[in-house]
Amino acid sequence: MTIEQLTNEFEQARPQLKSYILRITASIEDTEDIVQDTFIKASEKINSFRGDSSVKTWIFTIASNLAKDNLRAQKRWTENVTDICKAKALSNPDYFTEVMQIQHTSPHGQFEIKEHITFCVTCISKSLPLEQQICILLKEVYEFKVSEITQILNSTEAMIKYYLHTSRAKMINIFDGRCALINKEGICHQCSELNGIFNPKQNFEIEKNKIEMVRVDKKGDKAHLLDLRLQLLKEINPFNSHGSDMHLFHLEHNRKVMENHSEISEE
Amino acid sequence: MTGLPSNGKAVTIKKMFSRETVISIDIEAEKSIIWALLTNASDYPRWNSTVISIHGAITKGRKIQLKSTLDPKRIFKLSVKEFEADNKLVWGGAMGKRIYTLKSIGSRLTNFSMNEKIGGPIFPLFSTMIPSFDKSFEQFASDLKKEAEIISNTKEPVIV
Repeated sequence: MTIEQLTNEFEQARPQLKSYILRITASIEDTEDIVQDTFIKASEKINSFRGDSSVKTWIFTIASNLAKDNLRAQKRWTENVTDICKAKALSNPDYFTEVMQIQHTSPHGQFEIKEHITFCVTCISKSLPLEQQICILLKEVYEFKVSEITQILNSTEAMIKYYLHTSRAKMINIFDGRCALINKEGICHQCSELNGIFNPKQNFEIEKNKIEMVRVDKKGDKAHLLDLRLQLLKEINPFNSHGSDMHLFHLEHNRKVMENHSEISEE
Repeated sequence: MTGLPSNGKAVTIKKMFSRETVISIDIEAEKSIIWALLTNASDYPRWNSTVISIHGAITKGRKIQLKSTLDPKRIFKLSVKEFEADNKLVWGGAMGKRIYTLKSIGSRLTNFSMNEKIGGPIFPLFSTMIPSFDKSFEQFASDLKKEAEIISNTKEPVIV
């Protein structure tokens, strides 16, 4: 492979790679660094690429290893991340001012329920063990095959199946217990709350019923509901969505809160 | 205890100073899947109906806190005594230990056995207060087989 071919393949993969790394790290700065370092490392190792996998799989392998190194010392988030971050936002008088400013000045500052669902999946997925989070994202959002994920994570097919199965079961369970969109007894109403604050002209009931995930709720197939959430992650790239500035601001906010929360927990 | 049939039925042998319960079952799954299920503490309550919770890391030398349906009010403080990846796991406390053993008997077929021996000089004094492990062992083995086989037989998920 020539450097031109690598550059071409890398640029094709870059949008997906960036959103993947962002969803793992929740940090814009780390994402930019890791994506850049991935290209440098791939360029340096270009002669070692033997074509045993696709170039995209190889690039994701390098990026995943860099992300794992980056996250090694960090604690995983907790299932109630959205509660913790909401409480922190409510106690911070600057928070709403900053969000309002984004909304009024940025062409990508809209609040959309669909996009918030993807934000929520990203946050909840960070409560999974890292390997499980990586597996579910690679398989169900970035559409890698199990055999490719075994290469990316340098693991066995059996373990990848275990990670996938367990991560799905945990995510289904968490959303079933928390999400008021799909369960009347769910304890998290942040979509409707944020909609009321940031987009009051948007009728929440009408908007939410446009989302397939909410419409199919009555069938009670929880695995299918998770698939529909993950489908939204495929469709919405947090770096170029309608509400990307709002999305990225909230993700950065949650990361900072959870980093401090981890420190408190460790004491 | 040797020559135990792999039928998922528990067998208990009682002696004056000890009691030993064993079970063996064949599971159509790779050893690594079963090992992952046995060593992922926080995930136990999801698939194992005999476990209420396990806190701590299941790895050599570490301590864990186990809450079982056998005696929900008690927290068993145990230490991981042996940890031989994909093969053998032993945890226990002062009065006994539990041994999990995995053996490959085919490309995707594994024999799982579980053995718990409790006893000691004062065992006769409280032996009548300890409930039988048989049903709990059978449920444990059955849950493990079911979960491991589901995972092992997972096809590539179909995305809508």
